[in-house]
Amino acid sequence: MKNLRKISQGIFLLIFLFLFIQTESKGRDDLGYPVKIFLDFDPLILTTTVLSAHHAAKTFYLSIIAAGITLIFGRVFCGWICPLGTLNNIVSSFKKWRTSAVNREWYRVKYYILIFLLASSIFSLQLVGIADPISLLIRSLSVSIYPMFNYSVRAVFDSIYSSDIRGIVNVSEPIYSALKKTLLSFQQPFYIQSAFIGILFFLILGLNLVEKRFWCKYLCPLGALLGLFSRFSILKRSVSEECASCGACANVCQGGANPDKKEEWRDTECLYCWNCDDACPQNAVSFGFSREKVAASMDLGRRRVITSMAAGVVAVPLLRVNPLSKSEFIHARLIRPPGSLEEKEFLKRCVKCGECMKVCITNGLQPTVIEAGFEGIWSPILIPKIGYCEYRCTLCGQVCPTGAIKKLTLEEKVKVKIGLAMIDKGRCLPYAHSRPCIVCEEVCPTPKKAIWFEKAVVKDRRGKEVFVQQPRVDLDLCIGCGICEAKCPVVDSPAIYVTSIGESRSKDNRLLMDRY
Amino acid sequence: MHRREFIKSAAIAAAGFAIPHSIDTLFSTAGAFEKVDLAVAHGASPSKITRAAIDAMGGMKKFISRGDIVVIKPNMAWDRTPEQAANTNPEVVAEVVKMCYEVGAKKVKVFDRTVNDPRRCYVQSGIADAAKAAGAEVSYVDERKFRDMDIKGEAIKSWPLYTDIFEADKVINIPVAKHHGLAKLTMSMKNWMGVMGGSRRQIHQRLDESLVDLSMFIKPTLTILDAVRILIANGPQGGNLADVKKLDTVIVGIDQVAIDSFGATLFGMKGSELGYVKIADKRGIGTMDISKLKIRKISV
Repeated sequence: MKNLRKISQGIFLLIFLFLFIQTESKGRDDLGYPVKIFLDFDPLILTTTVLSAHHAAKTFYLSIIAAGITLIFGRVFCGWICPLGTLNNIVSSFKKWRTSAVNREWYRVKYYILIFLLASSIFSLQLVGIADPISLLIRSLSVSIYPMFNYSVRAVFDSIYSSDIRGIVNVSEPIYSALKKTLLSFQQPFYIQSAFIGILFFLILGLNLVEKRFWCKYLCPLGALLGLFSRFSILKRSVSEECASCGACANVCQGGANPDKKEEWRDTECLYCWNCDDACPQNAVSFGFSREKVAASMDLGRRRVITSMAAGVVAVPLLRVNPLSKSEFIHARLIRPPGSLEEKEFLKRCVKCGECMKVCITNGLQPTVIEAGFEGIWSPILIPKIGYCEYRCTLCGQVCPTGAIKKLTLEEKVKVKIGLAMIDKGRCLPYAHSRPCIVCEEVCPTPKKAIWFEKAVVKDRRGKEVFVQQPRVDLDLCIGCGICEAKCPVVDSPAIYVTSIGESRSKDNRLLMDRY
Repeated sequence: MHRREFIKSAAIAAAGFAIPHSIDTLFSTAGAFEKVDLAVAHGASPSKITRAAIDAMGGMKKFISRGDIVVIKPNMAWDRTPEQAANTNPEVVAEVVKMCYEVGAKKVKVFDRTVNDPRRCYVQSGIADAAKAAGAEVSYVDERKFRDMDIKGEAIKSWPLYTDIFEADKVINIPVAKHHGLAKLTMSMKNWMGVMGGSRRQIHQRLDESLVDLSMFIKPTLTILDAVRILIANGPQGGNLADVKKLDTVIVGIDQVAIDSFGATLFGMKGSELGYVKIADKRGIGTMDISKLKIRKISV
């Protein structure tokens, strides 16, 4: 059973990683792979999104399958499928565990976290992605681990290349180009907060050295939800008379399910790893379908349940009593991806999984710090200086699991305004420095260009007349894609920049009167 | 475009190639091929007119030798489809690739340093697929392959340029003719921006001189101007099909200045109206005055 489980874990982890790497443009309009399918199978995201936004993306009904499997087989998702669980499992195995394994009674914590998340989502606060294992894993990989991996591999091959020892380069370059075609990203990704998000991820992995599958046992809210379903499962563990109470099973248990205490076995904590079955010297352990109640009852403690519920409720106003919640106080630089819902609705749905950031062609989609308040931390923001919104690309809407970013057709997408460009005349070359420059106009992608020229004859220092074309922005045509800002030759602080005003998703963040 | 002017210039030039096709072939087979400066082919099939124009210049054999490594530089800078005429026509590129292999080229490389995302530009332009199908090695620009080169020009003293261009035996430039906000029109000389590394956006401060500097430094074996579709406004990327005009024309020559000067006439302009053409003519890179050129026109 152990080997079978490992094979299953390995296959699902590989599928997950494969789909993660495929979350990248190949130049066509769609990706050709169901890259977000692990999120679609996540019943925790479905539950909180339904609670907070009263909406569920169609594909999310797949998660009912995951819930159904748990109802029949128990938490097999955690033990056999979950890619974060598998990683935790792998790291746990780095340490030799002595017989007297740690035995903490913290398993209830994850239920409190779950209750907190559910309570806050009832009051429209969507925080689930911070702790949901699939969101957490995709975000950590997208924003930190995968960029790190790319950086290191590129650094190695680049230094070999520049060392210019001919023999080596002839060998290394084919390897490098093969890697580029398969494992590496098209270009080196860079993200704000990559270090912070990466450290959090390493911390979660590191906890496995404190105790086997620390995250899965004590913290994972999805594990908790599946644990609740698991109570009803009909696949149960039973121990025969032969049991000599040797404790061998307790040492190998991955979930803190009390396997050695026959009647006290916790079905909600069992990951169905079958380790106890494999380890039992008496062959006394077996799993089978049964309607009999064999497990320990779960007592979360009324007071603590109420406390975590209350905390979830209190979190809502706590996070919202900052001016950013006022519609007219929208952050100027909070440029959301095209197709994003109106901000409040957006925040109810966005789970900060980072799929949109991973797929963004130009690397312009970045995790917010506080631009959207604490509530919106790690939600996507376009930072045009890093990367603009490619005019004919609709990928972010295609990979968003919750519909926070709507899936747009190309025709719809090119009409969506995500902001407006403004020119800083004090820095713009033709305005401030009598030098020709037309880059913003040249790159402006709207068929009739949103940037137009006012022809002017200006004087340079010596009084010589210079003919320049001074760029102006047509506020009706500009869609705020930010390519002008990204390609402006005034690189440190571009002379043309995009702010969120005029974004089509907002009724309040308006500039032009004739739009009312 | 002033239609009357176009017809007039076309008619004048047409007189130049009113030699019957059969005699034409007779001349070339007899080795008494007349030297032609520009070949202008017109017809419905982009690949056929490309082939016809190159043949009219004496055939690919005249330019590419057996075993050559050839770089073909199309314009595929934009995330636009072929109908939108922002990039070189893929059929034209593919036909040139084929012709290079027909005369024994060892390898044909196709690349461009794009403005929009390279993956999208390569795919959406249709060039990557078409060139690959014709056997070309289509690759994305590798940033490590740019080397500072002593251009010693008037505006550009040195600039990182793509080494593949200089390591190749032959270079074929295949620009598309279109409108541009600063250069007025972009054709062959401006296409060299696609082999520039670094922050090439700065060259717009002295665009005309910079383009001439580049064109003095990079000497293509052949230039093929794609005017199958031209973009007459909102260039260089367009997007509105109303700005696209179908001319079904390909112009082939060796002289970049002559090509661009002739290209201007497609837009009802004169070569002398383009700053870079004028400077290039003055600096002796080529001939701006198309009345001095021997132009052969063909309809296919």
